[in-house]
Amino acid sequence: MAQIELRGVTKQFGDVKVIHGADLVIEGNEFVVFVGPSGCGKSTLLRLLSGLEEQTAGEIYIDGERIDHLPPAKRGLAMVFQSYALYPHMTVFENMSYALRVAKKSKAFIAEKVGEAAETLQLTELLDRKPKALSGGQRQRVAIGRAIVRDPRVFLFDEPLSNLDAKLRVQMRIELTNLHQQLKTTMIYVTHDQVEAMTMADKIVVMRSGNIEQVGAPLELFKKPANKFVAGFIGSPAMNFFDGHVTKIDNQYHQIRLANGVEFVCKLSNQKLSVNDRVHLGLRPESLTPNVKGDGTFKGTSSTVERLGAQTYIYLKTEIGEDIIVHHLGDLEIKSGESIEVSFNIAECHLFGPDEQRIEIDG
Amino acid sequence: MSQKKSGDFGTWLMHIFLGFNALIMLYPIIMMALSSFKTNNEIFSAPFALPKSFNLDNFAVIWNETDVPRYFLNSTIVTGISVFVLLVIGTMAAYAVSRYKFRGNIMVSLFFLSGLMLPLRLAIIPLFIQLKALGLVDNLIGLICIYTAMSLPATVFIMTGFLRSLPSELEDSARMDGASELRIMVQIMVPLITPAMVIAGIYNAVPIWNDFFFPLIFIQSPESRTIAQGLTSFFGEYSVNYGVLYAGLTMAALPIMVIFIIQSKRFIAGMTAGAIK
Amino acid sequence: MSTLTEENYKSASVRRKRLRQLWIAFLLFPAVTILATFVFLPMISAIWYSVYEWDGLVRGDFVGLANFAEVLFNPQSNKFLFNAFFNNVKVFVTLMIVQNGLALALALLLAREPKGYRFYQVVFFLPVILSTVIIGFQWKLFLNPIFGLVNTFLRMVELDSWALPWLGLPETALGSMLIVNAWHWVGFPTLVFLAAIHRIPKDLIEAARLDGASEWNIARDIIWPLMAPAVTIIVVLTFIGSFNWFEIPYIMGGLEGSPAYSTDMLGLLFYRTAFGSVSAGNSDFGTGSALAVLIFIFIFTFSTIATRYLTSREVELS
Repeated sequence: MAQIELRGVTKQFGDVKVIHGADLVIEGNEFVVFVGPSGCGKSTLLRLLSGLEEQTAGEIYIDGERIDHLPPAKRGLAMVFQSYALYPHMTVFENMSYALRVAKKSKAFIAEKVGEAAETLQLTELLDRKPKALSGGQRQRVAIGRAIVRDPRVFLFDEPLSNLDAKLRVQMRIELTNLHQQLKTTMIYVTHDQVEAMTMADKIVVMRSGNIEQVGAPLELFKKPANKFVAGFIGSPAMNFFDGHVTKIDNQYHQIRLANGVEFVCKLSNQKLSVNDRVHLGLRPESLTPNVKGDGTFKGTSSTVERLGAQTYIYLKTEIGEDIIVHHLGDLEIKSGESIEVSFNIAECHLFGPDEQRIEIDG
Repeated sequence: MSQKKSGDFGTWLMHIFLGFNALIMLYPIIMMALSSFKTNNEIFSAPFALPKSFNLDNFAVIWNETDVPRYFLNSTIVTGISVFVLLVIGTMAAYAVSRYKFRGNIMVSLFFLSGLMLPLRLAIIPLFIQLKALGLVDNLIGLICIYTAMSLPATVFIMTGFLRSLPSELEDSARMDGASELRIMVQIMVPLITPAMVIAGIYNAVPIWNDFFFPLIFIQSPESRTIAQGLTSFFGEYSVNYGVLYAGLTMAALPIMVIFIIQSKRFIAGMTAGAIK
Repeated sequence: MSTLTEENYKSASVRRKRLRQLWIAFLLFPAVTILATFVFLPMISAIWYSVYEWDGLVRGDFVGLANFAEVLFNPQSNKFLFNAFFNNVKVFVTLMIVQNGLALALALLLAREPKGYRFYQVVFFLPVILSTVIIGFQWKLFLNPIFGLVNTFLRMVELDSWALPWLGLPETALGSMLIVNAWHWVGFPTLVFLAAIHRIPKDLIEAARLDGASEWNIARDIIWPLMAPAVTIIVVLTFIGSFNWFEIPYIMGGLEGSPAYSTDMLGLLFYRTAFGSVSAGNSDFGTGSALAVLIFIFIFTFSTIATRYLTSREVELS
């Protein structure tokens, strides 16, 4: 239910500004993922929300109530940490009930709450164990259970899956999504893994060096990245970029010449570009097709070919040394060292101006 | 390093060298203990023989006729209280230095660290005058104050090392759970460093128990003497009765040796704690 | 709800910060106070006291550096100073070679984890935990010229000419005490070295072995350079210990460094000067403090230089 609003939230450590005035609205019951490379400020932003860190400037509201002056426990939030932060000397029951015991709740109430949460997370059998005797996945569930018993308005997750192995990570991803549907509570989830972000989020917040770069639904970010950074960050394998410049403008028709010699014309209703402006062309690996005619064609030599049967990845080097990754659905019999041509269609191009911001292509 | 082909010449040489050293370390202690059961006569006539009987006469003399039991009590009081106070306030200070960012943190750390390098023995004159003014000369409290102060830098140093190694997420987690700072320290963090406290405790308790320099200067009256210091006067009194002297030494050595043999791993870790990074 | 003004929000966070500061101050207060009162204050006072004349416990006139001049240049007393100082130097050099050399050998052997490895560790460390008083008296009894076990043994194996009054001859007294000291302490450097060797990754030693290095090469080229931090600590501790050496000579040789001042040490001299004795006359806090300051400056300077030099040859194990 809880709606969260950040207004101009800024954080400075000494002289170093790590969050530059973040404005953000998170609707009730949303599953929001903060994603970005390490050091982008996503964890700091989460810690500001939790109250573990105090903002240098700005305001934080939950359901219209200002909370940034309150100590962490009074904000009605619960947090799941990267290392789970289970108290090693306490049993699972003691871990899960600690917050309630600190709050001096009655024994019966505590037993009921912990029992319920343990049931949901299939931890009932493990309540008397110490964290040391649990597997990674079980510890993860205890950490979540510890958050659940407090009936928080908002759940905060700080890279909770990064300590698990790949298989368990996929499983916990699904469990967390189910949990969100079951609890219908706002959840904020921090990760550097864009796959986690794409699969779990209702809304993704992409961050870079203390700034929010774009906020939107996963496919919105994938289809219409606001800038070159988001375009390169979302999607795997990452988008290919080509430098180029505008050579001719005829009404809305812009002729663009890439550094590798490829030329094409596209219609841009945005008229901000002028001749000789630098632009960046972005093409997803799956938008490049080998051996077919298109609006433009790159020539290159394949350096490595990964044939997985259902799909093929081709790593190309162009004559001027650009690296291109091509993702082809299905098998393709190409050897490394072979020279091949790959083509693209204007409709699948992403264009970014001199400031690296998105320029809408109209055809 | 794994054991390699045993039986070659080098391995034999190694065992002879180690065994010989072990014998040299152990034999004097065994001789001391054995001699404590002997009469003067036996000691002179058959010094290397086993005692004729393991009678406890020499120990009875010490127990009944000397102040040695009293010395034991005093040493126990001084060591016990010093180490307890030391661990409490040392851990508190180490906790502040290692878990909080505050202005002057580096200054405070340096203050404690520089304490490591000050040989308090050389300041014995002002210390004497100071304790005299406080009425703490010839008083066990005076010794407790000195030992506590003297051992604080190393304790803070050792505890800081251990406290720094605790993940800050535990603290954050407890904070989210609504625990106060005091509660976080007492219920979450300190229980996790009890092994470190045992190490720091041993590191300090052994030298305090064994010390005789400070009592030599600060304690005069027989009823306040510690065991190490008390032995010196006891040696004056019984200088011709070898059996009793050996018994006194054995008695003084026994408690700490027994604890050491039971807890040798912890003792070794504890006593070398200051020298191993 | 949002009826509070911006001021209220600010003051809430200021209050939290103030509370945090109070809590930190509370944590630090007892330790800082006790350390300042019983260690720092006396250390500073010692410097202060050394520039005054003293009559017993009563401070007299300011005398500048006269006490220092007395200690260093009065031919009546400075012969004791130089004698004691050179004895301390002998102690340091001997302990470095005998005690720490033996410790290094023992540690290198124990690092191979031979049979009985745990037992050896416990046995070598056993004397370390005992009070110097016990050790001193025990060996004084053993070294008794007539009844002592050492001479009884020597006579038993017909080495009567070797059955000397070990602690009674100026030629042998200091050496005997140093052997006792080495016996008492050798376990300490041994186990510190051993711990340092154990911290060297086994891969490195195995790699060297695959490279064809002999055991001696491994010890010299791999283990020795990588255990440098432990060597630094032991050298510095031995240095400080040697120049503060007091208990063993006090118990086995007495306050006057018997026989014939051959076991006199700076520590004993300081004690005599400060608290009075046969040779040093009455208790004199002024010259005593001056001597203490000089000893402190010497130890501090050299241990700092040594630490600097020794640390510079340490390699970080990544």
